[in-house]
Amino acid sequence: MPFRRLILLGSIFWLLVQPAAEVRAELVVVVNARCGVAAMTRNEVINIFFGRNRQYFNGIEAQPVDLPDTHPDRLRFYGLLVGKDLSEINAYWSRQVFSGRMQPPAKVGSAEEVLKWVVSHPGGIGFIDLAKADARVRVVYELAP
Amino acid sequence: MTIANLFRRVAPACSPGRLFLALAGSALLSVAPHVMAESDSALSLNGFGTFGLARTTTDDVEFVRDISQPRGVGKDWSALIDSVLGLQAAWRISPQFEAVVQATSRYRYDRTFTPDISWAFIKYNPTPNLSLRAGRLGTEFFMMADSRWVGYSFLTVRPPGDYFWYLPFYSIHGADAAINLSLGEGVLRTKAFYGHSNGKIPLADEQWDIAGSPMLGGYLEYQRGPWQVRASYANIKFKNDLPIATVLKIPPANISEALNFLSTRGARTHYYSLGVVYDQGPWQAQLMLNHIDQGSNALESSDGGYALAGYRMGTLTPYSGYSWVRSNKQPGLNSSSVPQNEVAAYVMQDSHADQRTIFAGMRWDVVRNVAVKAQWDGIRGEASSLFPYRQDNRARWDGRMDVFSLTMDFVF
Repeated sequence: MPFRRLILLGSIFWLLVQPAAEVRAELVVVVNARCGVAAMTRNEVINIFFGRNRQYFNGIEAQPVDLPDTHPDRLRFYGLLVGKDLSEINAYWSRQVFSGRMQPPAKVGSAEEVLKWVVSHPGGIGFIDLAKADARVRVVYELAP
Repeated sequence: MTIANLFRRVAPACSPGRLFLALAGSALLSVAPHVMAESDSALSLNGFGTFGLARTTTDDVEFVRDISQPRGVGKDWSALIDSVLGLQAAWRISPQFEAVVQATSRYRYDRTFTPDISWAFIKYNPTPNLSLRAGRLGTEFFMMADSRWVGYSFLTVRPPGDYFWYLPFYSIHGADAAINLSLGEGVLRTKAFYGHSNGKIPLADEQWDIAGSPMLGGYLEYQRGPWQVRASYANIKFKNDLPIATVLKIPPANISEALNFLSTRGARTHYYSLGVVYDQGPWQAQLMLNHIDQGSNALESSDGGYALAGYRMGTLTPYSGYSWVRSNKQPGLNSSSVPQNEVAAYVMQDSHADQRTIFAGMRWDVVRNVAVKAQWDGIRGEASSLFPYRQDNRARWDGRMDVFSLTMDFVF
């Protein structure tokens, strides 16, 4: 009996927790709607955000934009994309910067500013909540939770 | 123990560690406006540093980070070999042009922490995936060689010595070109560089001037998802002879036969390497192999490598690895071709390395942009393994020691 009650209690707890997870909006990668890119694979997104490749397939320069460490979407984005913690992302960029190879993507303070960046740069690319994407941008990759 | 004590063995002229501490102080003051690094402005200022302590279990040799260091550490804790401070100013002049200047203060060939301009170059991107640089540049003889001092950027306390001891070269006056090409879902990167080396290598109380020695090299790299594979080649043609007579305080005329035999002037040394990196989720793993083909009888050719793996759990990343280096007499040398001379024998003995190292440690990402690391290295080698060390007591050294290290790395 107590065991069955435990399962019941566990189920109720699970149901209570569940909606909270669903409320969390889906994070997506968006590009400027006029840049000609329709969809990207995970590896292509990694190549752009880690500075390995700076051009889309059609030759347009990719202009990625990032968020500061303090923004929760940054942690979610790199966690979902490569399974890395922010300290590891920052370690990667300190290697690129101090070896003189390249500077990291520009950082803006909020999702609204990410959207603004993507719309105002021909090759703009950033990550935002799906709910925030409008007709001026195109969703090219969805980060599976 | 005072902090100044930790920096002893620097030149008497330079008050121990004062320079480093002054730089560290000013760096800490400038940590506050770190927002500069995050703004979209044309000028970015960034810095990196390490305060590191190390000790070994023997005083028979002194342990160094690489052979650019004239003295090393023994049984007493010392901050000499791993402490560093670097500052970089990068100015984006236009979307295509960028100027970068970086200064580094670390224990160097002349036993001081005198800051060096490590890089000063102009970068030009005619297209987004083509980069051309000219000026004073870092050299990538091996993978990660140009970020060896940025402790925050890697897992271990210092890059494995068995792999990097032989690489005291840091910069060239010259130019390089790198091109990135999309290949499937991966990226193929090719880089080539040419220039004249810049610097000095300590040899006992003297220095070997390698400035003006031509260097040439390049690599081919493929990166896809978590995988990175790179093959590289580089060479250097030494401009000067080793200062052997000066070191041994013998008139050169008395040992001219040995000096001719050990000449490095005009000798070309070749560096080959192969690296594989896997970096995904909590896992990080690296396998690196190198072969160095020395062009002079004074230095032995060698093979080295390391394997390293780490697994992150929250803010803690335990890691472990194994490295090795083994050098061999130059092929074609036999007892009849080597001058029957104590000097030649001594110098050749000095360039021998034959050892293996097991290491294990932990990286702790304490707060944003600060990591604390603790590491143990168990060096197990032959008594003849002398090349990587300083101030050896050949009669007593048995090739075995443990190294304990504790560092705090930061970037800002």
